[in-house]
Order: sequence, then C-alpha cells, then structure tokens
Amino acid sequence: MAEPLVVFDNVVKRFGAFEAVKRMNFEIREGEFLAFMGPSGCGKTTTLRMLAGLEQPTEGDIRLAGKSLVNVKPHERGTPMVWQSLALFPFLNARENVEFGLKMRGLDKPTRARKALDWLERLGIGEFAERDVNSLSGGQRQRVALARALVTEPKILLLDEPLSALDAHLVIRMQGVLTKLQRELGITFVYVTHSQSEAFAMADRVVIMSRGEIAQIGPARDIYRTPASRFVAEFVGRNNIFAGTVNAAGNVDTAAGAFTLGGKAKPGENVSFVVAADVVSISTAKPAAQNVFAAQLISEEFVGSMVTLFFEAPGGAEVKVQVQERLLEGIPREPGQQLFLSFDPSHAHILKG
Amino acid sequence: MAESRPAKPDYYAIAWRMPLIVWQGLFFVGPLLFMLAMSFFLVKNYRMEAAFQFSNWSRMLSKGFFWDAYAYTLWLAVLATFITSIAAFPASYFLAFKASERLRRWAIFFLVIPFFTSYLVRVFAWQVILAQQGVVNAAISYLGLGPWQMLNTQFGTMVGYLVLCLPLAVILQTFSLANIDKRLVEAAHNLGCGRLRAVFTVVAPLAKTGLVVAAVFCFILSFGDFVSPYYLGGSKPPTLSIMIVDTSKSGQQWPRAAVVAIMMIATLLAVAFTAIGFAYRKRGK
Amino acid sequence: MKTGRLLRWLLALYTALVFLFVFAPIVASLVFSFNSDRFPTIPLGSFTTAWYAKAFSNPEAWDAALRSLLVSSVTAVLATAIGFSAAYTDYRYDFFGKTAFLVLALLPPTIPLIILALAMLGWLSMFNASGMTISIIIAHTVLCAPFAMAVIRLRLNQMDPNLEPAAWNLGASEWVTMKSVVIPFTLPSIIASLCLTAAVSFDEFAVAWFVSGLNKTVPVVILEIVTGNIDPQVNAIGTAVFFVSITLVVIAQVLVLRPARKPDAA
Repeated sequence: MAEPLVVFDNVVKRFGAFEAVKRMNFEIREGEFLAFMGPSGCGKTTTLRMLAGLEQPTEGDIRLAGKSLVNVKPHERGTPMVWQSLALFPFLNARENVEFGLKMRGLDKPTRARKALDWLERLGIGEFAERDVNSLSGGQRQRVALARALVTEPKILLLDEPLSALDAHLVIRMQGVLTKLQRELGITFVYVTHSQSEAFAMADRVVIMSRGEIAQIGPARDIYRTPASRFVAEFVGRNNIFAGTVNAAGNVDTAAGAFTLGGKAKPGENVSFVVAADVVSISTAKPAAQNVFAAQLISEEFVGSMVTLFFEAPGGAEVKVQVQERLLEGIPREPGQQLFLSFDPSHAHILKG
Repeated sequence: MAESRPAKPDYYAIAWRMPLIVWQGLFFVGPLLFMLAMSFFLVKNYRMEAAFQFSNWSRMLSKGFFWDAYAYTLWLAVLATFITSIAAFPASYFLAFKASERLRRWAIFFLVIPFFTSYLVRVFAWQVILAQQGVVNAAISYLGLGPWQMLNTQFGTMVGYLVLCLPLAVILQTFSLANIDKRLVEAAHNLGCGRLRAVFTVVAPLAKTGLVVAAVFCFILSFGDFVSPYYLGGSKPPTLSIMIVDTSKSGQQWPRAAVVAIMMIATLLAVAFTAIGFAYRKRGK
Repeated sequence: MKTGRLLRWLLALYTALVFLFVFAPIVASLVFSFNSDRFPTIPLGSFTTAWYAKAFSNPEAWDAALRSLLVSSVTAVLATAIGFSAAYTDYRYDFFGKTAFLVLALLPPTIPLIILALAMLGWLSMFNASGMTISIIIAHTVLCAPFAMAVIRLRLNQMDPNLEPAAWNLGASEWVTMKSVVIPFTLPSIIASLCLTAAVSFDEFAVAWFVSGLNKTVPVVILEIVTGNIDPQVNAIGTAVFFVSITLVVIAQVLVLRPARKPDAA
C-alpha cells in the first residue's frame, strides 16, 4: 500500500531551549479533513507551519506524497494556506489576489483571469472580482483567501484558524462552505483551530495537542466518548469526570456515590472515569436503574435546541447534563431543585493516567 | 522569524544586510576613524603627511583661545537648549492638550517643512530682517526707539539657533506630551492641584524622557552649527565649528581641525549619555 | 472656567507666534526677492523681478543648479536603496550584532555636519576622490540613508508579518516576493523617501562646501554670495530653492501620512 499523503516522522521542533513540538509521529490520509486542536502554545500552529515550510523541523522528517520536504523551500511545496490574518495583498484587487499563485506558476494572463473568475464565482463573490480587497466585508475577504489558495488545484490545503476573526453567524455559514468544498474537491484539508465546535463539526479526524505532544488522534466521536487522558476529557469540556477507589464489590467509591462500571475496574485500584454530558438521564423520581445519584440544579445554558444543565453532586462536584430541550417537559427546572441523575455502566469510560 | 537547522548561509538575508554595512562602513565609520588618525598627522609645506605625533593635540589644547572658544561654544549651546526648550513648551502644550487631533496633525505637517528646507537661506533672511536698517529696526523707529544692534551679537546667534532648533523641539515635545495619559492630569486637577502646578508636578515629570530628548537634539544642533554664529553672531569670538572652518579652509591645517572635531564629538557624547541617563533614571531618590 | 478659556486663547496666540517665527524667513525671502531695495526694510520698495533676472542670467547659478539636481537625484536613489535594505533587514531579521547595525544605520544625523565634512574631506582626499561631483553624492548618501530608513521602516511596520510567507506559500521565491509584494506594499514610502532625501541633499551646504572643490552646488553658491555681501539675488535663488524643497517635502508627507490601507481585522 502506498504511503499516506503526509507523514510526520519523529519530528521535533525547538526554538532555543523551548521545545515547541516533541517528537511527533502521525499521518494525514489522502482526502481527509484533519483538524488540529489545543490550547494556545500547544504547538498546533508550529506543526502547520512546518508542513508549509515556514519553520524547519529541528529533527526528523516530513514527507509529502512520499518525498521528504526537509530541503524543499516554502514556494516549491504546493501546500497553499489560508491565514488567520488572511494576508490578502492589499495593493491588489480580489481577482489579482486569486491570480497570484497562477502568475507564479507562469500561466498566461487570459487563463489566469478565467480560472480566478471561475473560483470567485464558485465561492459566490464573482461580482466583487475587480473590487479593492480592503473594501470587502470579512466574509467576502475570507472567500477571496480561500479562492486564492484553491485556484492552484493543490492536493492539500492548510487552514490556520481561518474563521477566528468572523462573527458567530458567519462562522457557521463558512463551516458549511468549507465542508461542502472539501467533499466536492476531495482534497485533504488540514485545519488548525482552538475552537472545539469548528473541529468537531467539520473534521473527519481530530488531533488534540498539549504542550507539543499529541494527546489523542481520532474521529470526533471517539475523542468525545473515550478520551485518552484526563487532559483530553477536561479540554473537550462536555465530560463529567469522577474519581475514586474500587471497593471489594467492584464498585467505585466516589464523592458522589458508589458506581458500578460493569466489571471494567479491578478492586483496590484508584480510577478516574468520564461520563459524557449527553448520556446522563434526568428524572424527578428515583428511577430503577444502576448508578443513580441525587443532585441539585444550579443553572442552565441554551445553545440552539440543546440545553446544558449544571448540577452540584454530593461532595460538591459539578455535573453537566446535555439534552434536547423538548425532552425536559414535565421536569421542574428551578435552581435549587433536587433531581435524580443516572447513567449506564457501558457509558462510563475509564481514563488512563 | 524562520530559524533553520545548521544549513547553507542565507544569501538573501546577507544581500539585504550588506549595502548599509558596506556604505556606512566605508563612508561614515571610515572617515571618522581617519579623522582620529589625522589628528596625529603633520603638515609640512601645506601638505599633510602621515605620522604619529601629539604636536597638534598639545598645540591646540595648550592654547587659551581654544579653551575660550570651547567655553563660549558650550555656553551658547546650553543657552540655546534652555531658550528653545522653554520657548517650545507652551506651543507644544497647546498642541498636545488644547488643540484638536486635526489641528495637531496639520501643525506637525507644517513644522516638518522647515526641517527639510534651506537653513542657509532662512538665516540669510534673518540677517536682512535684523540688520541695522532692517525690518525690525525700521518698525521700532516708528515707536521712537532704536536702532538696536542685533546682528553680530549673541542675540543674533540665538535667533539663528532658534530657527534651527525650534521646529524640531516643538515636534518632539508635542509627541511626548501627547503620549501622556490625560486622566493623570485630570486626576491632579481633581485633587486640587492648580493648573500651573500641575504642569510642573505632573505633566513635566511624565514627559521627562521626551523633553530631555528634545533638549539633547537642540544641544547637538546648536553645538555643531557654524552658520548662525558666523552670519548672525559675527563670528567674534569664534565657536569651535567656526574654528574648524577657519583652520581647515584657510590654513590647510586639517590635523588641528581634527583635534577640535574630536573634542566636540567627545563633548557631545558626554552630554548625550548624561542626559539620556537622567531621562531614563528611575524616579524616587 | 473663564480663566481656562483665556489661557487657551493665550496659548493659541503664542503657538501662532511660534509658527510666525518659523515661517517668517521663508515669507521674508519671498517678499524681498521681488523688492527693488538692495537693503530691504519697511516701507518696502517697488516691485521688481530684477533679482530673478540677475540670478537666472548668472552662469554659475545655472551650473550649480544642474549639479544640485544631479547630486540630489542620484543621492536620493542611492540613499533610498540603502535605507530600504536596512529597514527591511530590521523588519525581518534578528541577528548577532543587530544593535550595532541599527546604531550604524541611525547615527549619522547626530554628528554635526561640519565634523562629517572635515572627516569626509580628509578620507576622500586620501583616495584623491575629493573635489568631484561624486564626492558630494557619496557624502550626501551617508547623511540621507538614515532618513530613508526611518520613512520606509514606518511603512513596513504596517505590513502583516504573514504577507511575505503568504506569497512564498503561493509559489513565489524570496526574491520574487520582494519584487511583487514587499516593494509594491512599501511603494508610497519609497517615493516619500526619494523626495525627502532629495530635499535634504538639495539643501545641504556644509559637507558639499568642503568636498565639492570647484564643483559647487546651489547652497554652496549661496554660501559664497552671502559671505561676500548682502545681495538680494540670494533671495531669488533662495525662493527657488525653497520652492523645490517644499514641493518635495509636501509630496513626501502626503504619501507618508496617507492612511495605511491596513486590513481591519473584522
């Protein structure tokens, strides 16, 4: 089988004494939408910049389509990027911006203009082709930046927090534009973001980074349901984390109560486990289920039709529950209300380390 | 920016670094170092010969007229620095605090213009204005006064130094005053600090660095200028810069002129470092 | 707040006087240049263009004007090229000895011209290179490069640090990026720098006087006329010189002050 499109082979990046990226090994498959996510300073942007050739790895090798990139200059790589600042050329109009990469490839003027206009049309801003880029709105400028990168028909597109400067409603719209484009073109997108909703909404696989290391790599669903570490579980944020000691009966004694994990823990061990916020059930009367505990409602938060309820469990721990708002009919939701929460043992995921 | 693993030299970066290093090395550092060497050369039969003799130094520094000129030049420059700083301050204060943003921009726009126009012609114009039968004396004669002797006096020299330094002083002072947090001044007013007192106890200390930098520039400009003391001050007594002109132009005594020049550079460096040290000194003794 | 308003007006009046003082010689020179009196005073004499006629029929003045034009335009190009390279280096790179590099770049304006003139005269004479038109150009480039650097560096400050990488990323080599991104972006400041450095060179007299020998520039001619006598011809030449410099400086300022077309982060 041929090598994946991109391979990071023992890549280390140091800036002086600071190790920005610590020995990274991973692959990017042809045609996938891969998102890098992590807190600022975790090394995600450095990773992307190494792929574009704007930083050189201190150690290790990066291969694109089987060829080592180490001695390949940025302008010889064919890895166009959409920048956080957009970095449009302010002295060129929208069409000339899009033509830039084609001009560098030596295409003649009519071909350049045709291709550029095609792409501007495709992204719905054909009418602004001759406009000064400084006079365009944020969303329009975003599309010019996308067209400028895509017009060269690359195998791979790099995106560095491209939506972070946009208003919330535009972000959702552009997410749609990006996923649709990626499906249609079938090219690989490598997307760096600090926004969980962007990464989870668009990416086939997500790489969670922490302090220069990969904390977890996998589909959004896996990262959410089965976080590899306490860091990932906390970073994802919609998880409830419980910690305790396994008693002789195989149940875990936590501050919120004793829970059974269906035999996944050995007696005597100290374990932490996560229960995703959307698998916790709520009821007014004590249900006949496993792993039931009483908690006090503190507050609630709406995002669209979803509501997140914040409870205080015995022992003071915060427990989050996420449900469709219509499923809460008949359940009193005054702050201070005592309710019963429960979860199925199969939904508890034990954290390593 | 992009740092790389030990690789071949970055010719692109070097190419952009070289023009300045080569040009200023050859034609700025080179001449100044040569001047230092020249101060040890000898002049025989109106020709300069390379040598390493202290005779120029001992001859110049042992002469009373050199030290008289030194003291006079220093006095003039210090006086010009204080007069310019004080004369500029109310205007800078107005532009920084009382004028609109728009007016301030226009004012700076106009103040930059003289800086790049002929100082020589401006001094000549003042020579005509201040002459014995000039505009000023004609004007005051209607009041039954004068005529006043203004040309070829210290007053004339000071007018020239003001022509040279005032625009730059107002620009630098205005920038430093405009950068002050205005709320601090308001707070001072609020605490019952009088207007004039606020200027000295709040505004001046906050803008100290900028005010000192402006003063240092005034000092540098007036200390090295030879046009005002010559054409408006009458060159008697001579200043150090006039001495450089006289020794090098008429007597071909470049080495002795070099001695004067090096003494001037040493003085300027000493003044600049003392002043900058004072400007950035931490408050609270 | 009656005293407040009075104070404001007094300060405004004072500021106006400062401007009057600063621009008086420029205006006086213009007025005197059309005034028939050899020793202008008030009341003014009659209107005349005789001084211009005298100046314009003076072959030495014409010779000097042409030389000044040559010196200032070549100086402007050289100083702007050197200033640009220094500004770009400062913008983009951090390297061992950068402080020394910046000192070298910005020090010349703090050395009195008369001292530079003497040093330059000695240095160029050693290579038998003084007394020529090119000697003036060499010396003026040293003086003007720092101004060029300052003006262009200000413009580079407004350039998105990702703009160059964005061009590389789209297939432009560093040199091509310089030509098609950095230079177009800094073009207003490059033109401003050409104007400012030309103006500085056009008006500089001390260094030119020392190193020019018989190849006099306009300010050197003025200096010699002024040294001789009061001759209103100087007002005519001076007014012409002012006109040239002020035009250059105003063009430069308009270009520098023009609001940067900076992408506003939406």
